[in-house]
Amino acid sequence: MEPPRSSGVGIDNSGEYSPEIAETLRFEEEIQSLIHPSSFDGSAAPTGGGSFTALLGLPANQAVELLHDSGAREPLASRIRVGGHPVHRPFHLPLDCSSAFPSNATLVDRAARFSVFAAEGSPASSSGRLKAEPQDSDSPPLDPIPTGPAKRKDTGRSKCDVRLSLSFKSQAKATAKKSKNAEENTDGDKLPYVHVRARRGQATDNHSLAERARREKINVRMKLLQELVPGCSKITGTALVLDEIINHVQTLQRQVEFLSMRLAAVNPRIDFSSLDSYLSAECGPVTVRNGPGGVVVDPSLWPTDATAEATRRLLVPQFWHIDLVPPQLQPQQSLTTWERDGAAHSQLLPNPTTSLFLYDPANSGNANVPHLTAKLKTAEDRALNL
Amino acid sequence: MGVIDIMDAKGTSSLGNPNPNILTPHPSKSSVAIRFLRVLSLVRHTASSSPSSRACRIRRAACSCMAYSAGPRRAWSRALLRKLVRRRRKPPRRDLPRPAAIIRRRRPVGGDRLEVALRRVVPGGAGMEYCRLLEEAADYVKCLVMQVRLMQSIVDFESHVHSVNKRSEIDPGDRN
Repeated sequence: MEPPRSSGVGIDNSGEYSPEIAETLRFEEEIQSLIHPSSFDGSAAPTGGGSFTALLGLPANQAVELLHDSGAREPLASRIRVGGHPVHRPFHLPLDCSSAFPSNATLVDRAARFSVFAAEGSPASSSGRLKAEPQDSDSPPLDPIPTGPAKRKDTGRSKCDVRLSLSFKSQAKATAKKSKNAEENTDGDKLPYVHVRARRGQATDNHSLAERARREKINVRMKLLQELVPGCSKITGTALVLDEIINHVQTLQRQVEFLSMRLAAVNPRIDFSSLDSYLSAECGPVTVRNGPGGVVVDPSLWPTDATAEATRRLLVPQFWHIDLVPPQLQPQQSLTTWERDGAAHSQLLPNPTTSLFLYDPANSGNANVPHLTAKLKTAEDRALNL
Repeated sequence: MGVIDIMDAKGTSSLGNPNPNILTPHPSKSSVAIRFLRVLSLVRHTASSSPSSRACRIRRAACSCMAYSAGPRRAWSRALLRKLVRRRRKPPRRDLPRPAAIIRRRRPVGGDRLEVALRRVVPGGAGMEYCRLLEEAADYVKCLVMQVRLMQSIVDFESHVHSVNKRSEIDPGDRN
């Protein structure tokens, strides 16, 4: 029943304990990492325990219980901190604490591993911890062997109960102050965690880390959505924001439908060829500016829709000359409604005197068709180079 | 420099993105406009039966233009196109592989009422994680806004032209 030493989750009797216990074990190791600097030798255990109680805000008796465990772990800790030289202090451990060894070993392993993560400040100690790993794996096997597994179970379970209550309590009391304390401690110590700040009562479990990261991601995206949807930034509360977003999307979809109905209902008498003349009457010699040749042949963004595009192109060639006037023709008046939109307001009310595409029908008349096609080709080349 | 740059700038500035990494910058509006206009003219010039069917077609064209402009990297655009293709009863196009689908961290649970509603609204929202859903929703909203603006401007333009036409009809001085 040796617990796997190299495994990430050190469970005493695997299968018996719930993930909360794993969390508590991690919690323990976090505490351990906290007491490492504060406790230099075994005599410092009470002070370590004192800091314990200060941090945890627990009644003293539970802290004392913890102290037993921490006392059991202390020599290991001190051994580690010495560096690469594992000083084999005698393990003055009461027998009932010996069952803590397997968990201790795994805890220490995990502590070492986690400190490896954050080992930017002090590579020395991290290497020390790394070296301590194999040492730890060596030494504890000696001790738990004499203890019967049943006894280990009982004591282990009681200890786990303590840890459970501890963890739950601390999780319940994960106040800002404690998190600040923890953060200060971890900051002040030596190796602040690189990526994630392990808050008080929130274990440094891989799962909780991932969950926290995921929550952060979700929050970021929610903020993005809030900014996109107008009027959402004032609303507090995820539910209302989501409601607003859903409403907005539905509104937009309805708008698209409505506008498509309007577009369909427009009298087909007004087709683009006649639009030419109207526009020439209305707007005078203006051009369509389509940027540096980006639009004429809109190269299909996707490889898949080439066929559809090709068919469309074949079917409607004549409109190209009308729709797309290459930029060289007349560069002066080159406003489109979108520019105007951007300039004016977010809502769309284009100035009706400026058309959507400002045409230069005088130039794009039939006489200039070959000229235009040539220009289209050059624009196409440029578009392909884009 | 060009309309495209202005439109791009406008697009990104109007959104006020804190994280430009999440929302990929869209190709310029003009590409969507060109595509849509092409399709629109095509729809109008093919003999169509009723305004309602034409409206349907136009709506689908609008959606497809939106989806094309968004690009294949967006799940919602692929889903949208899939839906449209299915409706047209054509052979389905190649789907680009979704890397997110292979690594499924969490199964989409239909617990939250709002989340379910969001999934229903955003195309392709059913098979995504919540995180991804929010991303896609943001992109979808952006595209929708762009599409709505485009169509609105076309409608306004045409209504204006129509009014001009009426005026020019009344006024016999035709400057053809």
